[in-house]
Amino acid sequence: MSATVNRLFDNDWVGPALVCLIAIAGISWLQPSFLSSFNIFVLLSAIAVNMVVALGQLVIIALGQMNLALGAFGGLVAISFVAIMELYGVPPMAAVAIGLAIGTAAGAATGFVIARTGISAFIITLAALQIFKGINLGITEAQPFYGVPQVVKDFGNLAVIGPIPWLVVPMVIVSVGMWYLLNRLRIGRYILAVGGNPTAAELSGINVTGTTIWAFAISGGLAAIAGMMLVARLQIGQPTIGDDWLISSFAAPVIGGAVLAGGHVSVAGTFFGVVIIAIITQALVLFAIDPFVVQIVLGALILWAVGINRFREIRVARHNEAR
Amino acid sequence: MTDTTTSPDIDARDELMPARRRSSRLLRLLLSNEFGLAVMIAIAFTAFATTLPGFTSPFSLFTIGRQIGIDTMIGLAMMAVIVTGGLDLSVGAIGVCAAMVFGWLAQSMGVPLALAVPAAILFGGLLGFINGYAVVRSGVHSFIITLASMSIFFGVMIFLSKAQSFNALPPEVTSLGKMRIFGKVSLLLVITLVVCVALSAFYRFTTLGRQMLATGANARAAELSGIRTGRIITACHMLAGALAALAGLMLTARTGAAVPSMAGHLGQDWLLPAFLAPVLGGTLLSGGRVSVAGTLLGAAFVTIMTSGLLLMRVGEFWILACLGLILLLAVLTDRLRQKMLRARGLI
Amino acid sequence: MTALQVSHVSKSFPGVKALDDVSMTLAGGSVHALLGENGAGKSTLIKIMTGIHRADRGEITMDGRPTRFANPRQAAAGGLGVVHQERNLVTRFSVAENIMLDRLGSHSLSRVDYAVLAEEARHWLAQLDLDIDPMTPVSRLSVAQMQLVEIGKALSLKSRVLLLDEPTASLTPSEAQVLFRTLRKLRDEGVAIGFVSHKLEEVFEICDTVTVLRDGRNACDSAPLKALTRDDVVKMMIGRAERISRRAPRPQPAAAPFFELQNYSSAAGHEDISLWVRPGEILGLYGLVGAGRSELAKAVLGLASQTGGTIYVAGTPRRIGSVSEALSLGIGYVSEDRKGEGLVLLHSVLDNAGITLWEQLSTALGFLRDATVAARVGPVLKKLEVKTPSLDQTIGNLSGGNQQKVSVAKWIAAGVRLLIIDEPSVGIDIKTKAYLHDLIHELAEQGTAVLLITSDLTEMVDVADRIAVMDDHRIRGLVENDRNYERVSTAIMGFIHGRTAPAAQAG
Repeated sequence: MSATVNRLFDNDWVGPALVCLIAIAGISWLQPSFLSSFNIFVLLSAIAVNMVVALGQLVIIALGQMNLALGAFGGLVAISFVAIMELYGVPPMAAVAIGLAIGTAAGAATGFVIARTGISAFIITLAALQIFKGINLGITEAQPFYGVPQVVKDFGNLAVIGPIPWLVVPMVIVSVGMWYLLNRLRIGRYILAVGGNPTAAELSGINVTGTTIWAFAISGGLAAIAGMMLVARLQIGQPTIGDDWLISSFAAPVIGGAVLAGGHVSVAGTFFGVVIIAIITQALVLFAIDPFVVQIVLGALILWAVGINRFREIRVARHNEAR
Repeated sequence: MTDTTTSPDIDARDELMPARRRSSRLLRLLLSNEFGLAVMIAIAFTAFATTLPGFTSPFSLFTIGRQIGIDTMIGLAMMAVIVTGGLDLSVGAIGVCAAMVFGWLAQSMGVPLALAVPAAILFGGLLGFINGYAVVRSGVHSFIITLASMSIFFGVMIFLSKAQSFNALPPEVTSLGKMRIFGKVSLLLVITLVVCVALSAFYRFTTLGRQMLATGANARAAELSGIRTGRIITACHMLAGALAALAGLMLTARTGAAVPSMAGHLGQDWLLPAFLAPVLGGTLLSGGRVSVAGTLLGAAFVTIMTSGLLLMRVGEFWILACLGLILLLAVLTDRLRQKMLRARGLI
Repeated sequence: MTALQVSHVSKSFPGVKALDDVSMTLAGGSVHALLGENGAGKSTLIKIMTGIHRADRGEITMDGRPTRFANPRQAAAGGLGVVHQERNLVTRFSVAENIMLDRLGSHSLSRVDYAVLAEEARHWLAQLDLDIDPMTPVSRLSVAQMQLVEIGKALSLKSRVLLLDEPTASLTPSEAQVLFRTLRKLRDEGVAIGFVSHKLEEVFEICDTVTVLRDGRNACDSAPLKALTRDDVVKMMIGRAERISRRAPRPQPAAAPFFELQNYSSAAGHEDISLWVRPGEILGLYGLVGAGRSELAKAVLGLASQTGGTIYVAGTPRRIGSVSEALSLGIGYVSEDRKGEGLVLLHSVLDNAGITLWEQLSTALGFLRDATVAARVGPVLKKLEVKTPSLDQTIGNLSGGNQQKVSVAKWIAAGVRLLIIDEPSVGIDIKTKAYLHDLIHELAEQGTAVLLITSDLTEMVDVADRIAVMDDHRIRGLVENDRNYERVSTAIMGFIHGRTAPAAQAG
């Protein structure tokens, strides 16, 4: 029995999924309105956006790096997205494509600098954060763009069916896509190889520079999608989009079992991590607790998750040694 | 290294190679980072002074000087941790928390300034201690620990203060922010200069300072030479926390209020100046080398550039982008410097 | 059919000649042992073969054609596979993926066909008689299996030459047998196998030919192993004593031991270690790669926990929890990794030499001036004839010999009563080496107890009074040093290679 339980917990997503279930059960017992149609809709909207954000960081964590500029990418694309629709009358679908292109290009440029200079991603993305944030605020002068077309607003605030928002659709597509990329496509395996053992990867002829650029480009693209999703939901091109992505973009993957040194991530685990964070945030509002408590909780969650991951790694190492 | 080498690690730099001839002290000074920064400051200052009418007005100089004081202090806080090769993302959060504690003591509890100020600084040191302890005990990199602590500290502060500001502080606070020494120089800048001198002396003339530098340069060698690196790292974080607290107090004096958002969300607005000043100034990101004067000059350069550009009506936000670029350049230079050092086998 | 030929290869580094006119012939269909003491040149030779270094003279030919690989990646692609001591696999990936890591797909967005990967991998696993599911994550394998996977990877790259560096270092005897079965099979299929090891029993079991290096030269070149006895090989490895030690054996000091280990065991794997050093005595600790000597020194200093036995310092049992505590008890350690652990290269000579004294010299308020440190350290550095333009000189700019002198000086300045010196002469010029030996003797004459860890037999015989022999984290025997190189070295090797029954504790 314990062997099965052990094997079950070998999977990254089981723990977080259980925590989700317990949390949902507990909260809805205390506050039945938690499971109201409206509340589920709100929750799913938040989860949809945050999942895409988390995936944007996940791909970089897989590489063994970090992307502090994720929010800045998202914010810049968000306002550009609205700007080109409002100022140049570009149709929404084309604007989405352009927004995606901007995000991907910004990411690729960042990845290029990191790969070629060998400077830590921390510093480069810190600089990129300032640069893109500055550009963002320079264009908007801290004022939002209001000209969001109705179809976009509807996408962000209407349901597909029942309490399931349209926003869930891009989330599902992106999540499945990322899972597929990381598990079935060569580039995804390369990213994980570079993160897992850069020496072995290099010796096997993997182009580390190219892989880094790919990873950051994907990260930028995901940030772009998340930014545009948020525009749809908020119904304005808010320049502050992305300002608060830093902590949660790390917290969710880490809760989901990602190893910060690289080489091991879990899309499913990240999903449940996102759900946990969304539930906690929502619950705090429901119980009229100060929403800033969520910051404390996020910080604590990161520490706890890092601790657990380390513990699991040590257990695996000890298990192998004993053989 | 454990007993697993199969051959001596002979590298290309070995014995029979005469020790390098020490370049003259003057040449080294001229090539140094600090001198280069001083030159750039002089150029920028002259350029702005001659093209902008209001730049050299007493008020303008006063404000620039005061801002240099504050930004330097922020840079010194991060510098204290970079010295050991670590990072502290929570400097902003600690600064704000300390300022809020000060505000609470001074405004709500009526504690005299002479007690409230040291109390706030000690509080910053306490938060730094928590960081240091967590880093040493867990063995997790300081990036993650301080990423978590920045949100925990900030969150607790907001929760306890209910996001209220303290804007009814005793009038002495604002007057300290406005005070001029010799009728010209901001008190805050003077305080920073005093702290700079003290820190320089600290790193050169005290045992603890030397141990910090040794731990940062090569923690393994330091440990094997009898230095208790765990305590040293904790001490560094405590120092950083105290300096961050001081920076927060100075900012409060300048604005006249202790506001939860004074350093941005989770205090992340301080991250840029905190890194920019030390890195421009020559403190190696890999640790082991420190330049207090460089941090001061770095902050001065950035502040002068920012003020000048602002006066030229360049959008505040474009300046932000510029600073990001400067950070990039500064780090590229740091990287080149590290490469040169590595080529000479020094790290 | 010669798969790989090393012809008259020489390689020098500044001040040291690592290889001098070395030749070796790796024939297809044979297992060729490469033997030699630490520092004999084995590792340099392998680095030249795989392209990490370039030979100054001589050439390497593969299948008759001269080859020069620019890096290990090229070597692998060119048919030369190396399996190192440390594992080089992506642990989270499956066996199949690791083997086929360079052939996952044609372009970035191509789909990875796991079925094809598994099929390929199965082929190579079958070659190696490795019965595991190719989709198993490598992290679930034993070290022995991981090693076989790496061999499989080298084979899948069509390696005609396979170099194995200390392959049985982390294997149990039965796992080693499995490996040997595989190697024999590969040999029969025509692969040329290079086998670097210090375990002579294994060498005699599996190898056909042997090349022995000593001091950078061939002691023998691709000789058939059948014609040699174990003694022959050992003699070739350690050579005759051309140097007759100029020092007479020293009388044993009368004082009680300053430092003693009784049945000491550590978390690093040491079991039941007993030894002692008297003040003024030089105890040598000899062992080969992986014996655990440096680990013992570090464990004693508090860097690994003590799991059994007692440590006595000046007659009193002590628990040492950190290097700082050890220093306060009068114990110092000169690391074998001078640049990584012994010195802070970025800092000055003064800072490096004084580092052990800072706590001692600091005033009550924690102040410490350079002049104070210089006053204590200056005389020591002068006496050791450290060549530096000034005490402020960055120590990284000094020559290796002078750096080594400083790394010893800092302990002398601190007045330690037991100095543990780990591989003092590695990468050091002859003159400084001789100087260091004199220094060690002088320290002993002045009453310091010395524990000398070295794998250089000549040095050991030249310097030590008694020699403890360590293998696999245990003391195997003790040899009194009468400075007779042949006798002493044979006795030591006897303990290592199991000829002599382990003596009662190296008491």
